[in-house]
Amino acid sequence: MLQCIFLLSDSGEVILEKQLTGHRVDRSICNWFWDHTNSQPNSYKQQPVIASPTHYLFQVCREGITFLACTQVEMPPLMAIEFLCRVADVINGYLGGLNEDSIKDNFVIVYELLDEMIDNGFPLTTEPNILQEMIAPPNIVSKVLSVVTGNSSNVSDTLPGSTASCVPWRTADPKYANNEVYVDLVEQMDATINRDGVLVKCEINGEVQVNSHITGLPDLTLSFANPSILDDVRFHPCVRFRPWESNQILSFVPPDGQFKLMNYRVRKLKSTPIYVKPQLTSDGGICRLNVMVGMRNDPGKTVDSVNVQFQLPPCILSADLTSTHGTVNILSNKTCTWSIGRIPKDKAPSMSGTLVLETGLERLHVFPTFQVDFRIMGVALSGLQIDKLDLKTVPYRFYKGFRALTRAGEFEVRS
Amino acid sequence: MAPPPPQSNRSPSPSQPSGKSEVSDLKLQLRQLAGSRAPGTDDSKRDLFKKVISNMTIGIDVSSLFGEMVMCSATSDIVLKKMCYLYVGNYAKVNPDLALLTINFLQRDCKDQDPMIRGLALRSLCSLRVANLVEYLVGPLGSGLKDNNSYVRTVAVIGVLKLYHISATTCIDADFPETLKHLMLNDQDTQVVANCLSALQEIWTLESTTSEEAARERENLHSKPYVYYFLNRIKEFSEWAQCLVMELVAKYIPSDNSEIFDIMNLLEDRLQHANGAVVLATTKVFLHLTLSMADVHQQVYERIKAPLLTQVSSGSPEQSYAILSHLHLLVMRAPYIFSSDYKHFYCQYNEPSYVKKLKLEMLTAVANESNTYEIVTELCEYAANVDIPIARESIRAVGKIALQQYDVNAIVDRLLQFLEMEKDYVTSEALVLVKDLLRKYPQWSQDCIAVVGNISSNNVQEPKAKAALIWMLGEYSQDMHDAPYVLESLVENWDEEHSAEVRLHLLTAVMKCFFKRPPETQKALGAALAAGLADFHQDVHDRALFYYRLLQYNVSVAESVVNPPKQAVSVFADTQSSEVKDRIFDEFNSLSVVYQKPSYMFTDKEHRGTLEFSDELGNLSINAETGDSVVPAQRVEENDKDLLLSTTEKDDVRDPGSNGSAYNAPSYNGSVPSATSQPLADLAFSSTGATGQAPAPGLAIDDLLGLDFSVGTATTPSPPPLTLNPKAVLDPGTFQQKWRQLPISLSEEYSLSPLGIASLVTPNALLRHMQSHSIQCIASGGQSPNFKFFFFAQKAEEASIYLVECIINTSSAKSQIKIKADDQSSSQAFSTLFQSALSKFGLP
Repeated sequence: MLQCIFLLSDSGEVILEKQLTGHRVDRSICNWFWDHTNSQPNSYKQQPVIASPTHYLFQVCREGITFLACTQVEMPPLMAIEFLCRVADVINGYLGGLNEDSIKDNFVIVYELLDEMIDNGFPLTTEPNILQEMIAPPNIVSKVLSVVTGNSSNVSDTLPGSTASCVPWRTADPKYANNEVYVDLVEQMDATINRDGVLVKCEINGEVQVNSHITGLPDLTLSFANPSILDDVRFHPCVRFRPWESNQILSFVPPDGQFKLMNYRVRKLKSTPIYVKPQLTSDGGICRLNVMVGMRNDPGKTVDSVNVQFQLPPCILSADLTSTHGTVNILSNKTCTWSIGRIPKDKAPSMSGTLVLETGLERLHVFPTFQVDFRIMGVALSGLQIDKLDLKTVPYRFYKGFRALTRAGEFEVRS
Repeated sequence: MAPPPPQSNRSPSPSQPSGKSEVSDLKLQLRQLAGSRAPGTDDSKRDLFKKVISNMTIGIDVSSLFGEMVMCSATSDIVLKKMCYLYVGNYAKVNPDLALLTINFLQRDCKDQDPMIRGLALRSLCSLRVANLVEYLVGPLGSGLKDNNSYVRTVAVIGVLKLYHISATTCIDADFPETLKHLMLNDQDTQVVANCLSALQEIWTLESTTSEEAARERENLHSKPYVYYFLNRIKEFSEWAQCLVMELVAKYIPSDNSEIFDIMNLLEDRLQHANGAVVLATTKVFLHLTLSMADVHQQVYERIKAPLLTQVSSGSPEQSYAILSHLHLLVMRAPYIFSSDYKHFYCQYNEPSYVKKLKLEMLTAVANESNTYEIVTELCEYAANVDIPIARESIRAVGKIALQQYDVNAIVDRLLQFLEMEKDYVTSEALVLVKDLLRKYPQWSQDCIAVVGNISSNNVQEPKAKAALIWMLGEYSQDMHDAPYVLESLVENWDEEHSAEVRLHLLTAVMKCFFKRPPETQKALGAALAAGLADFHQDVHDRALFYYRLLQYNVSVAESVVNPPKQAVSVFADTQSSEVKDRIFDEFNSLSVVYQKPSYMFTDKEHRGTLEFSDELGNLSINAETGDSVVPAQRVEENDKDLLLSTTEKDDVRDPGSNGSAYNAPSYNGSVPSATSQPLADLAFSSTGATGQAPAPGLAIDDLLGLDFSVGTATTPSPPPLTLNPKAVLDPGTFQQKWRQLPISLSEEYSLSPLGIASLVTPNALLRHMQSHSIQCIASGGQSPNFKFFFFAQKAEEASIYLVECIINTSSAKSQIKIKADDQSSSQAFSTLFQSALSKFGLP
């Protein structure tokens, strides 16, 4: 049971405060929190659960805004964290992006949202569809409407019908001139390549994102050509469990608009689309660095937004790096970024140069880890393929669209 | 136009408009609008309200506008209403008189046509939280509970809970709990049902201390009909309500196995839920249901593994951390189940350190014959990590794996490579590990000694590592060619060695070396004993003296004491007891898991029974855990030191002088054929202490050896008629209870000797001192100049207990004492005793 929620700006100022129970949490807790976090070493700053002298604090940080919740009672920590994440998502969706100014401009809406999302410390309605029926988002449409009709209230006059419906995530009866459903496979590849160039770990975390605009109460089924490759899945509450269990078919009544239908995980992939080969040799206080990047298994589509980033160890005084393709940037905090963009077909790009070690140090003992970023449009690297999407119960024709995208998640190469 | 507002010190940032003039300006404008019915009033009102609320949000006190706000609240605009409710809710508590003004319009709104307004008004009405307004709540709540709109009912149910917190009797008298119960079992809307459940749980739990019926009702919630009722509707509940129901189900005890399987089948798909909280709550249900069925429990682990791992890798960093903490607990309980998933615990470069630490521990735990090679390879890569604490941690992890595996060939090679890495901290950690490894696998000594011999002792700075190196020099002096000379040069630099631990080890090592290579070491031994005898550190001095006398007495006996034949250590003591782990497991899906300690170790007063000093207790325990977050080994120790709960028992067991943890494993078994030489030496040393040379550390040992010195010292010059039981025992719970029950029988102020004040730099000294006078400390806290202690003592031969609260102010050298006693008549005598004990504190 949460007792209070604060929204803090990136300078620690309280943007918003929402007391939830009779026990009033004093604002001074925010000062304690801010001092505490700043006194911690960097890697402890974002610790999600903190014990203060008077309360247990949960923090979730999004775009510089800290969502801070306080409680004094034992409770499932994940519930608090999940809820804060949900609050962040909902506010983000309402305001079209999170920042201090947009929250300050719309704090009445944020208060209204929190009012409906949590009562007396217990989460209530967190489904965006339903919330939007209770509190209209401050978008351009409603602004235009309010000018035209003279009714500037951003609260709808009627109560959402679906609070009592059996499909609690869906608006009661949306109407569209064009019925359409878009299904996107968005995958992230996490990979670790060790010092010897061996792929020690490679897996894909994917999402099936659906954007549905269909009149009435549609019942959709989505099936995959090769569901057996999925190692584990988790679903939006709308997915019926039995059809998946028996036939690996996703059968669901979708919420209106954009939502995440399913998450999945594919383990034990054998290869990565590109290779990154760093080489470091050091002697006599100088370290030579050479990094090669190239295509390994051509996925059939272009690999773009390739980016290699690494942190120079603190013992390095200066670095002089040049690349055959793309640009190299070294920031004052010793973060080095090599932006390659698209890998050229004919020649593999490389970056090389020298690093000067601090005096007295002969050889390098601490080696950087290279974090690689890339994006491939049109391919789901896990190999997952959508077989078909059908619409039951509603006799409309509708437009279906499928897309796929893979990007690098935690893709790191050690040296 | 208002003049530019003067800067008020209340304003948190200079850019915010603030100050009195702004507020009074708003007041004026609100007043003008209050009675106006002109078109467009609502819009200007809305702007004004926004200003007021934004001021309130920034932290400016706008409570002076209360009256005006209420006057403006007559409106049909729902946004205005909401803002007004928000304002009223925020300030009603400080303006109870003015709050009465709002009752009227709120009550009217509770009868509005629009269910949304009815709901909002009811919620605000209940959120006023003004005690003398409760009579106005009962009516609207009653009709709210019967409202035909579910939104209003949802709000009303929570309203009942709010009412209960303002005035429990009003709530009970209106028979609301009964109504809620009826709603819970009959309402169509699951949100109403869920709210009823959470409200009733809270109300009945609080009521159950006084009312048996409430206690029975609360128990009933865990009974079959209720649990089945909720389970049958589980899919209709919102995700949060599902968590609530799962909590309930986890406490349900099914009558037979088929019931267990039914429940698990029903809930299985919850493991696939997108909300991690639901997944974890389900996991808890599964684990608890199957506790009694070993094989099914096993299968449950297999089943929950994949969903939890998915949650870890697909959620936000915050969610991952919470899940990972729980996974950590499961891995520690059943490492073999996760042994094939070790790759999930590989650390990513940019993960925060607290996550890496968890993962390192898990990697250590899951290592077995099949995956050790990969895991150790991975861990070795972390040793070159930029993050030095993690690099250290990973080397330690390699060592731990080496100690728990049978085939350590490859690992020893790796460790020896660490020694050659020429990085200070790597060498240090590796040295400590090699030492532990040699204690377990003496057969590796040849390989290790070859490498260790090449390390120059000048390059090793950290005390622990230096001690390890010296230990090896002593232990394997016959194999290391220049051991005596290295030791000799170390002895020459005796004065520059700041760590007592290192000096202690040096003494022992020189002794060992002497028995193996007497002619080469004789000079070093003489120098070491001389330096040791002149040492200002008590332990070092005592050990030197002991060795000296032992040698004088009989050299061969000395050899058998210092250099006995050793057995390999098979098991190093586990740092976190399995009992503690079990307790944490019982509290799965709670904060306990994140903190890695059961809730009784960290939750505060409200949930363990109140007491005045529990605040300080809470502070103490929290300080202990905020600093470092995860390593259980350290934490438990810190806990012991800092929590100060039951210091009595702890001090009995712990030799206050010994600061090396390397040897605390097998020591204190007291029997003569001890496994290693070190504990023996420790023991022998402690008996020298007990002969009276070292008063402070000796006292703790008195108890250990069963010698009763304390009573003697307590009855010094004029023996008071009262004698105390030197071994009084009282657990903190009883103390709290007694402290609440007993009246204060004496309250006095003493002054303290300046010497005592000076010794109070470490409060522990006072605790030990008082303990020697048979007065035990149960809790202490505070910071200079104010310290607070709670003591207790027991009459010898009687159960009568004395409780003392003692506040010491070091700047005024005064102590304020409050005594409570079972036997009031003797409290004066006890006070004299206490005073005499306190006055002797710090005197030589």
